Amino acid sequence: MKKTYWMVLAACGALSAQQVVAPTGEQVGSVRGENAGNYNITNSFELGYRWNLVGGSMEEYRSDVNYRNGLRLLESSFSMNSKDGHGRYFDQILLNTTGLGNDPYEAATLRIQKNQLYRYDLMWRQNDYSNAGLTIAGGLHQMDTVMRLQDHEFTLFPQSHFRVRGGYSRNVQEGPMLSTSLELDNNTINSSGLPVFANLRQSWNEYRVGADVEFAGFRFTVLHRWDFFKQDTPYSAYGIATSAALGVPNDETTIQSFTKAAPIHGRNPGWLGNLVATHKRWAMNARISYLNGHNNFALSEFASGLSRFGTAANRQIAVLGSANRPMLTGDLNLSLFPTKKLTVVNNTSVNNLRISGDSSYTDIANGSNPGETLYFRFLGIRMVTNTTDVNYQSKNWLGIYGAYAYTDRLVRTIESFSLPTFANSSESDRYENSNHLHTGTLGIRMRPWKPLTASVEGSIGRANNPLTPISDRNYHTINGRVDYRTRKLQLSTAYKQVYNVNSPVSLSDFSSHSRNYSANGSWAPKDWFSLDAGYMKLHLDTVSGLAYFAGISRPSLQSMATFYRSNIHAANVGVRYAFRKRADLYLGYTITKDTGDGRATATNGVTDPAAALFASVQTFPLSYQSPLGRVSVRVSSKLRWNVGYQFYNYHEKFGVLGYYQNFHANTGYTSVTWAF
Amino acid sequence: MRTLLLLLFTTAAFAQTQAAPLAPVSTAGYVGSNACKTCHADMWLNFYKNPHFKSIAGGKEPPEKTGCEGCHGPAQKHVEARGGKTTIPRAFSLMPAKQVLETCLDCHGKDLARVNIQRSEHTKNDVACTSCHSIHHSPTPKYLLAKTQNELCYTCHATARAQFSMPSRHRVNEGIVQCSDCHNPHGSFDATWRMAQRPRMMDQALNAESPCIKCHIEKRGPFAYEHPPVRIEGCEICHSPHGSMNAKLLRRPVVFSVCLECHNGASNFGTRNNGVPLQSSKHNMLDPKFQKCTTCHVAIHGSNADQFFLR
Repeated sequence: MKKTYWMVLAACGALSAQQVVAPTGEQVGSVRGENAGNYNITNSFELGYRWNLVGGSMEEYRSDVNYRNGLRLLESSFSMNSKDGHGRYFDQILLNTTGLGNDPYEAATLRIQKNQLYRYDLMWRQNDYSNAGLTIAGGLHQMDTVMRLQDHEFTLFPQSHFRVRGGYSRNVQEGPMLSTSLELDNNTINSSGLPVFANLRQSWNEYRVGADVEFAGFRFTVLHRWDFFKQDTPYSAYGIATSAALGVPNDETTIQSFTKAAPIHGRNPGWLGNLVATHKRWAMNARISYLNGHNNFALSEFASGLSRFGTAANRQIAVLGSANRPMLTGDLNLSLFPTKKLTVVNNTSVNNLRISGDSSYTDIANGSNPGETLYFRFLGIRMVTNTTDVNYQSKNWLGIYGAYAYTDRLVRTIESFSLPTFANSSESDRYENSNHLHTGTLGIRMRPWKPLTASVEGSIGRANNPLTPISDRNYHTINGRVDYRTRKLQLSTAYKQVYNVNSPVSLSDFSSHSRNYSANGSWAPKDWFSLDAGYMKLHLDTVSGLAYFAGISRPSLQSMATFYRSNIHAANVGVRYAFRKRADLYLGYTITKDTGDGRATATNGVTDPAAALFASVQTFPLSYQSPLGRVSVRVSSKLRWNVGYQFYNYHEKFGVLGYYQNFHANTGYTSVTWAF
Repeated sequence: MRTLLLLLFTTAAFAQTQAAPLAPVSTAGYVGSNACKTCHADMWLNFYKNPHFKSIAGGKEPPEKTGCEGCHGPAQKHVEARGGKTTIPRAFSLMPAKQVLETCLDCHGKDLARVNIQRSEHTKNDVACTSCHSIHHSPTPKYLLAKTQNELCYTCHATARAQFSMPSRHRVNEGIVQCSDCHNPHGSFDATWRMAQRPRMMDQALNAESPCIKCHIEKRGPFAYEHPPVRIEGCEICHSPHGSMNAKLLRRPVVFSVCLECHNGASNFGTRNNGVPLQSSKHNMLDPKFQKCTTCHVAIHGSNADQFFLR
């Protein structure tokens, strides 16, 4: 029995090997816990100190890794279980936390329940991350955006035929985000738009109430939700941006003072109804949901400074309006089980979405007020899908499945605007885009031997009028995998390819080919040793038709086909070795490398300036690797000492537009895990 | 024998109510869980921590819904034979995936999260409940998963493991994001974006919207000026949601590549059906300020103030 217990523990340790060095995966204390009255309690805490030393681009490190120095409660777990299932106020409490104490990734989950009476679940998460500027690298990383999420779910009578549930979710984000771009020369594209980062704060709160009722083999669920969104951005600054600082030549644009307020308040009430029934020969599931989103917004923006020619300039913009989005979704799913071997499922989904908004816009540049402009825009999307799946288990070791699906989508747009200062200036334009997609899928799965499974699936799709040049049009996919699984050895390999061609006219040349190969292995021959390893290759080549304006003196329209190629190789290996139940050693290595298309220089010898620009971004070779090591020593039955080290290396071969963000980082931790 | 004991109870089902197509099991021959613990003491010792213990603690369920026999069927023959896997009416390690699924759905079929399980990709590929759940030896505090959630999914989805190891990624390995934040492994309703058929297995926010907006609330709108592909085709038209070698999970290393691949004016595309609009003729791509589209078009996911997403 004891050996079995250690085998299970060893397996858990090996299988939960993570790609971050801490928290420590090894168990401390008895899984059986301690008894206290009618309850059993298990309890463990891992308290430690993290450190890091970073060389190179600290901004990229913050965006990719972000672990910093400090004391942390790396992980904790607490459970309290009633031994007879008849606790006075509760039968179970589970509390688990990760990264508390200023790790960039902190989380806590809590469950409290009493059998037959109630269940309460909480999830809380906080992510402190570097919000890279929308301009993609170029140094516009911004630090310390914080996202906090929490979900509460309460269920009354969770095991009965009548359940009542309520919930609350909250999402709060605050931190610098790219807020606006401002040109001080109105209506002239030659002026520089200067980016302004504002300390944005936004919150979203959702309240839910619902119930489930079971009767005569049916279950009916109803849920009503209310949610509220709020974004408030009061912001003012002085001397915040210049074109010169952005490296724009011959442009003196400077924002000397800037104020902005852009409050948005929204609500999104909704209903959900669901009816489910399962019987011996058939099952059905019907759902209808309705959401009605609404946002009110206003914007006031004022800036003063210098124009591109260095003269004094100011600009004020005011916006007022609202936007609505009612959305109705319905699904009907029928499953038939005519024989034990055959399952037929038909599903119909209907989705209707209408977005409409009006927005009044006033722009006063240097005291010149052209008047208010009223814009109105409507975007309607209606989609109907019908899918039939047939799944036939001809033998215990052989199964076949197939599917046919049809989708019809209509996108309708109405655009209008008016300039009140000009009589009869109102215009209204209507546009429609409809798309039909037919797809067919065929798959076969085999299990010729108990530990061995294999499956192959092919799918083909034909659409007649996709929305964008890169959307799915004529495509096929092939998936195949083979798995071998025994208690000590698990091997699997898979292949997937997706080919899509979307080039109805010459300019929109688009074809995308992706091929994905992977192989995984996990070997645990003894309770004190395990090895996990995996390799993946992802090949992507895409041809796209581009049209753009470029020129040394005056820009002219040019077009070209561009080729984007990516060859990503990713490998990971992890080894765990336990020394006489006294110490555990874990070594791991992860590398992800895009070898690009093999070129030696970014521009690949192209000399034409515009063509060289596009050539330089046709591939982006880089490598990102991270070896790690960890030792966990069992000091006593309830105490462990842990120490770990993890190295990160990020290396761009060409950089993005000549800007390199390479970094390397040494990180580590030491901790004590204590159970009591 | 020890291995046998482990195997015997490593797979099982859950407990609640309802009837579904099950393997025929005689209503006689139930002996009660007390008989099981005589030999399977190791299972029984910790079973009070198992969610399925509720079926015993309640004391009101019929024998075919209670304890060990609630999942494994009547044990009389197994007891009389003094053990043996083949004498267990429902020995999960010997059952085909379809039968495992049916057994578990007997109680769990009416949960809203599992109403689409018959059409899920997992079901089609014989990934049954016991492929992911370990009923008697789960190392996770909730949901009886066989491993931590990300490692469980990586077992088959090796590509996802590689994607979550890329420099720009959702923080799954760090534990702040779970696969099930975005996916429903038990099958889901059709997507309300793209052409509905793909992506599959997505867990929808607010029952009908892309899961991305659960966290990225500011991109949800509604906006007076929607960027149509965001709403119609979904976030993945520009982003690789698991991970990317490029910043911001983008599909290309620079923004202008992402934009220009659609904004090429080729006819028959776009909401107007006459092409996705070309960039302005005054945008000189040789000027560095026009090489970073989102420096000016800051509200690219949707704007209330500007039809060109400038603020």
